[in-house]
Amino acid sequence: MDLDDDILYEDDSGNESSENGDDQFMEMNMEPESSSSQKRDEVDDFQFEILTPDKIVSHMVDCIKEVNAVVEIPATTTRILLNHFRWDKEKLMERYYDGDQDKLFTEAHVISPHRSIVSKPKKTTRQTAAASSAEVTCEICFLSLPSKGLTGLECGHKFCTLCWTEYLTTKIMDEGMGQTISCAAHKCDILVDDATVMSLIRDPRVKLKYQHLITNSFVECNRLMRWCPAPDCGNAVKVAYSDAKPALCSCGHRFCFACGENWHEPVRCVWLKKWIRKCDDDSETSNWIAANTKECPKCRITIEKDGGCNHMICKNQNCKADFCWVCLGPWEPHGSSWYNCNRFDEDDAKKARDNQELSRSMLQRYLFYCNRYMNHMQSLKFEHKLYASIKVKMEEMQQHNMSWIEVQFLHKAVDVLCQCRQTLMFTYVFAFYLKKNNQSIIFEDNQKDLENSTETLSEFLERDITSELLVDIKQKVQDKYRYCESRRKVLLDHVYEGYDKDWWEYIDI
Amino acid sequence: MANIAVQRIKREFKEVVKSEEVAECHIQVELVNDSFTELKGQIAGPPDTPYEGATFNLEIKIPETYPFNPPKVKFLTAIWHPNISSVTGAICLDILKDQWAAAMTLRTVLLSLQALLAAAEPDDPQDAVVAKQYKENHPIFLKTARHWANIYAGGTIREDDYDNRVIQLKNMGFDPHKARVALSTHNWNVERAMEHILNY
Repeated sequence: MDLDDDILYEDDSGNESSENGDDQFMEMNMEPESSSSQKRDEVDDFQFEILTPDKIVSHMVDCIKEVNAVVEIPATTTRILLNHFRWDKEKLMERYYDGDQDKLFTEAHVISPHRSIVSKPKKTTRQTAAASSAEVTCEICFLSLPSKGLTGLECGHKFCTLCWTEYLTTKIMDEGMGQTISCAAHKCDILVDDATVMSLIRDPRVKLKYQHLITNSFVECNRLMRWCPAPDCGNAVKVAYSDAKPALCSCGHRFCFACGENWHEPVRCVWLKKWIRKCDDDSETSNWIAANTKECPKCRITIEKDGGCNHMICKNQNCKADFCWVCLGPWEPHGSSWYNCNRFDEDDAKKARDNQELSRSMLQRYLFYCNRYMNHMQSLKFEHKLYASIKVKMEEMQQHNMSWIEVQFLHKAVDVLCQCRQTLMFTYVFAFYLKKNNQSIIFEDNQKDLENSTETLSEFLERDITSELLVDIKQKVQDKYRYCESRRKVLLDHVYEGYDKDWWEYIDI
Repeated sequence: MANIAVQRIKREFKEVVKSEEVAECHIQVELVNDSFTELKGQIAGPPDTPYEGATFNLEIKIPETYPFNPPKVKFLTAIWHPNISSVTGAICLDILKDQWAAAMTLRTVLLSLQALLAAAEPDDPQDAVVAKQYKENHPIFLKTARHWANIYAGGTIREDDYDNRVIQLKNMGFDPHKARVALSTHNWNVERAMEHILNY
């Protein structure tokens, strides 16, 4: 096959004509499709949609409308309910029609809209008794005001508008709360709806922040949505089902939908996450993080302790786990019996010493893989520069009687090179956690082949290309990158087959 | 400081000064500076507790965002209590943290603290050493708390045997406060307390 190609192209280059140009045009046109068709297969069945900030809001409004069309309660209440169910419409409907509605409203911290007309809570009696003309005292600022100057939620706790505004501003700006702000009264957990917030807040900055918080919680709570992790990109990706598949944002950033990291084929998210944490372990920042923070045992968010009390309540509005800072266990058992977290455990200490021995040899192993991973990462960075240098080359070739479309193969070659580098990078992460077996040996062989072919391509593009005759370059480059592509495909297919057939065994480090 | 905070403190001040509790010498607040950012509080130990007859001084700092954020309160007087650090005086009380509500006042805070003295929450401890003693050696806890109240807060009941043990260590050249802390930590076992002081 390669041989055939050789002959064909030698002919071409010797004899440029418009016909040949057309042929190549066809060829070039076909090429991207055919070469990436295997990849497309995976991408194709993974449907995703890019939502700009505006679209996110309208999508949120649509969700609310959709539910409202059925349940027919105020939109603000629907929003709180939906947020309570993490924007899972089906779950909300199910609970709404199957269960105890009053209980549902209590759980979601709203007053049932069906009830509000019937019973006015007792708290208001003091105000209503005072009648509209009389003066009442706002319990926050202690100022006496005509009762019409006071406002409140369905729970009946009323405060003056100035205090409400201040209260909401503090909650929004200082504590970053959005949908979870509750009534200012003591022990009242009724949530403030968005319409009330928007009517009470005047400052556009606060309004904007509030809207951000609301959309943020909408995207973060939603299993089928994720923010594009690229810096300064405000888009979100919406998928039909959640999976570890690549998503391509309109900003050009390609990332894994499941974990948000750069697309990391062939290694799986869990292992990549472990790997990244391990790699970061040596930096100063992570030393500080390790010394001063812990992770919430439920949602894994990093927490810094700033008070003396060991009873922690996760501030992540979607988590709120109760746990003990010392042992990271749930707080519950600490209440009933005296906790074990103050006692030094001899067994644990011995285990720790053994682990230390083990970790020395593990370190050697880690350094082996880390070196290679870092090396490919570095190369990948350098090779991005190749785009500039091949551009010069492409212009040069165009001056030598080649059409624009004919020289695009160089660009394609660098694309392939970068793809291979990225794959290679992550194969070392995969290999680091892999236990040795027959399949892993095959994997390593594949890895070696891909590495060899990638290095050859890289070397050619970087160095040899300058010394080659222009006429030879095209054929040589194409041979090389096609070989790289095929090696990459072989490696990936093998890994995926292994996932399907449970070949891979992991070392838990 | 924000206008609303100053206004609140001024009004609250009147409220506390007028209230019945002050008349009965149970709680008290006074200004430390003119800007209303720092106050000094005082609460009396509640009756039928080891803190009876004692008076505890509190440092109250009013944040810029008061009353939407809680005041920062800590004990200036040393105290032996599961929810109050015996070292720093830091307090573990929900209403001073996430359960704070804007409608609460200095008066309610001081009364809550008084209530905390009467009913400790050893399952939600600030000082793990004290909490452990509270749960496992309650009689010793009561005596220790009384002793601390007597020494630091003008409590009237003396615990002579504890006094003697502190004096014993003091005569050996140890700082009396350090000796008291060590003894309290080790359930008043003199040898272990000495070991503790020498090791730390």
